[in-house]
Amino acid sequence: MIAFQDPLGQLPPQASTFAADHDALFYFLTWVSIGSFALILGLLTYSCVRWRRKTPDQPAASDVTHNTKLEVVWTLIPAIIVIVVFAWGFKGILPQQIAPADARKYRAEAYTWAWELYHPGATKSAGELWFEVDKPARVELTSRDVLHAFFIPAFRVKRDIVPGFRNQIWFQPTLIGDYTLFCAEYCGDQHSMMHRVVHVVDAATYVKEPWAALPETPEARGEYFFNMKGCLACHGTKADSPDPIGPTFFGIYGRKGRLSDDSEYTADEAYIHESIREPQKKIVKGRAPVMPPFDATSLSEEDVNDIIAWMKTLK
Amino acid sequence: MTTHAPAHEIPTVEGRREPDYLRVTKGFMSWVTTLDHKRIGLMYLFGVTLAFIVGGIFAMLLRAHLWNPGPDGQMFSPQDYNQLFTLHGAFMVFAFIIPAIPGSIANFALPLLIGAPDVALPKLNLASFYLWLFGTVLLSYSAITNGLDTGWTFYTPWSLKSQTAVLSAGLGVFVIGFSSIFTGLNFLVTMHKMRARGMGWFQMPLFCWAIYASSVLQVLATPVLGITVALLAFEHIYHIGVFDPAEGGDPVLFQHFFWFYSHPAVYIMILPGMGIISEVVSTHSRRPLFGYKLLAFSSIAIAVISFLVWGHHMYTSGQSEFAMQAFSFLTVLVAIPTAIKMWSWVATIWGGSIALTAPMLYAIAFLVIFTIGGLTGVYLAALAIDIHLHDTYFVVAHFHAVMMGSTAIAFFAGVHHWWPKMFGRMYNEKLASIAAIVILTGFMVTFLPQFEMGSQGMPRRYATYSEQWVGYHRASTVGAMILGAGFALMVGYLLHSLIAGRKAKPNEWGGVTLDWKCPTPPNLYNFDDEPIAGKLYDYGPTLKR
Repeated sequence: MIAFQDPLGQLPPQASTFAADHDALFYFLTWVSIGSFALILGLLTYSCVRWRRKTPDQPAASDVTHNTKLEVVWTLIPAIIVIVVFAWGFKGILPQQIAPADARKYRAEAYTWAWELYHPGATKSAGELWFEVDKPARVELTSRDVLHAFFIPAFRVKRDIVPGFRNQIWFQPTLIGDYTLFCAEYCGDQHSMMHRVVHVVDAATYVKEPWAALPETPEARGEYFFNMKGCLACHGTKADSPDPIGPTFFGIYGRKGRLSDDSEYTADEAYIHESIREPQKKIVKGRAPVMPPFDATSLSEEDVNDIIAWMKTLK
Repeated sequence: MTTHAPAHEIPTVEGRREPDYLRVTKGFMSWVTTLDHKRIGLMYLFGVTLAFIVGGIFAMLLRAHLWNPGPDGQMFSPQDYNQLFTLHGAFMVFAFIIPAIPGSIANFALPLLIGAPDVALPKLNLASFYLWLFGTVLLSYSAITNGLDTGWTFYTPWSLKSQTAVLSAGLGVFVIGFSSIFTGLNFLVTMHKMRARGMGWFQMPLFCWAIYASSVLQVLATPVLGITVALLAFEHIYHIGVFDPAEGGDPVLFQHFFWFYSHPAVYIMILPGMGIISEVVSTHSRRPLFGYKLLAFSSIAIAVISFLVWGHHMYTSGQSEFAMQAFSFLTVLVAIPTAIKMWSWVATIWGGSIALTAPMLYAIAFLVIFTIGGLTGVYLAALAIDIHLHDTYFVVAHFHAVMMGSTAIAFFAGVHHWWPKMFGRMYNEKLASIAAIVILTGFMVTFLPQFEMGSQGMPRRYATYSEQWVGYHRASTVGAMILGAGFALMVGYLLHSLIAGRKAKPNEWGGVTLDWKCPTPPNLYNFDDEPIAGKLYDYGPTLKR
């Protein structure tokens, strides 16, 4: 494939094998568009200056109202251009449809409003994605609840994640660097918080399985999980954090309150543990039962304890 | 119709044989129970303008919210932001832009343009208005009570899980849909049965062709919207398992149903706008429309193809590449009749006697913005590009170029063009020209940065965003405020003209279509004498022959 460089720097970095072809078509259309726009603007300006009505009864200058040759030309030229664009665009997506057999298998499970990201062979999910440069990767996409979409602008790829269906997406990263994964399909309250860092690294870094590395102290790990598992979508960490969905974690450890059946609870270790594993079991009075459960593939026993350790520091 | 007695025998008021339709009867009841297409048109004009103002306020609030990237330092919570963009979309699409031109401009001008005393079914016409009103009240009720946070597209399963007023808003959309069907049906019958003597199909002004094409869409496509929201309601209430994957349903099926209506719907919105532009460009350039037949057929071609392109909203949903191939091919075909229209308008202006009046300035703003909207549509039709641009600000900017920058501006071009005919009064033309330029500027400042952000990957419907886009978002917010100022100025001078505007000339623009051959403002049944259609767009001799 002939490498196409982004002449105006308007698109994201070209970090996958699909990017150059996309960008070439994008700029082909951009030049055609700028040309057509300039032509139309020029013709309009010229007409308005040259034939502007100066006296109230000034008649039109031209009596030509039909010209078959001209009409055929201005039908055919756009027709040829758009058919070229169609064919080029279709050719562009064909390689995106089937992943190569040797592509590494990743899995992304989306839920409101976070991701469980599984690396090849991993049984435990990670908070960010790591890909090895120049190696094809395939991501299986599932959703626990509503529509989401897997979108990495630097790779020029996007695929909807439809609950009840298995979609997949593949790409081959070509440029070492950090990029962003977005959720591109509107999924409710905290849709805009479903972004994660995507790392493209060399082989030496990749073999060290950087996705398994965690911060050293329990409290730091707890905060890391808080950020990665989407807790921050509904829970704040400051005394004055807004709390339309869930309570702020500031000073939550040891707090007392009432449940929906008017019984009393204390936010001790056992209660918080249960609230993470089976959040629907006990609902605090006045709250809606909206929190998703986190099982052991998402957060191990140790991870939950780390979160509780971190929560204790918030006061 | 009217008497055919010679004019000198009739006592005249200000040189008229009959009182005009605004004064023929008086009082509130005479308006709310009127069967006159012109009065119904004015009630629509008033109503859709209010809906436009409400939707516009939502737009300015959400743009103000996006001044800071958040989550700290923003005006609203993410939930409130989601409600704002949903209500902005729902009001603008369902309460304003779909009924705007058919309801107000076409209701007023279509019977005049074909030389008819009224529409064919005046009672149905009034019923359409009240259905629109009822549906819009339901939408407003939803907004006030529980809000709506599903996006105007109501995608499942979020719309089934959302705690907001999905059912009452859906009912509102359902009811407005019937208003739209009845309006379309009425115009079709009117054009078939009530054209003036001597007016064959190819002597109809092009506005009528555009309304014909969009009416066919309204009658055939809107029932699918009704079915879709009815199924959504059944799913909500009875869990019938059609859209909800938890009940064994298919959420993508909802998208197919929804876009089977909503794609033709964008042509329901833009085709009447194109029709207005044809009339305005011709009248204010004193030139017959260039390539009349090709223009007429291009409206029909757009209407036909528009039924077969809905899948282009779902390129990323996982549909097969062969479905994508068909949808992409059919979608790029729409560009051809669209390009034909564009060149025909330019060729109509070319060699004309061009008066840069307010309606003409709005029409030129349309031509400039519609070029952008049309060309960026080709980007989105191309499969490889759309995979990247889908659900980004590029799409937002594209459809605002077509809907707001083209349809809404064409609507205002029409309002300015027929205003003297409607009210017999003229607005301040200098202020109107300033407003047109302010609105064009505001549009560019608002939406050009959005094209840029979108191509960089900024997803749409985001309450918070990355720091890298702060500059673009702030420019866009400034642009939205400029737009707001332009529209406020417009509403101001239009209202002022009703009280203090100079009296309009009987034929303010020197138009030659039949709408300019009836008294200004028209009689209750429009014409003094039964009009006979002559040569269409006959502006008399030109300089060159």
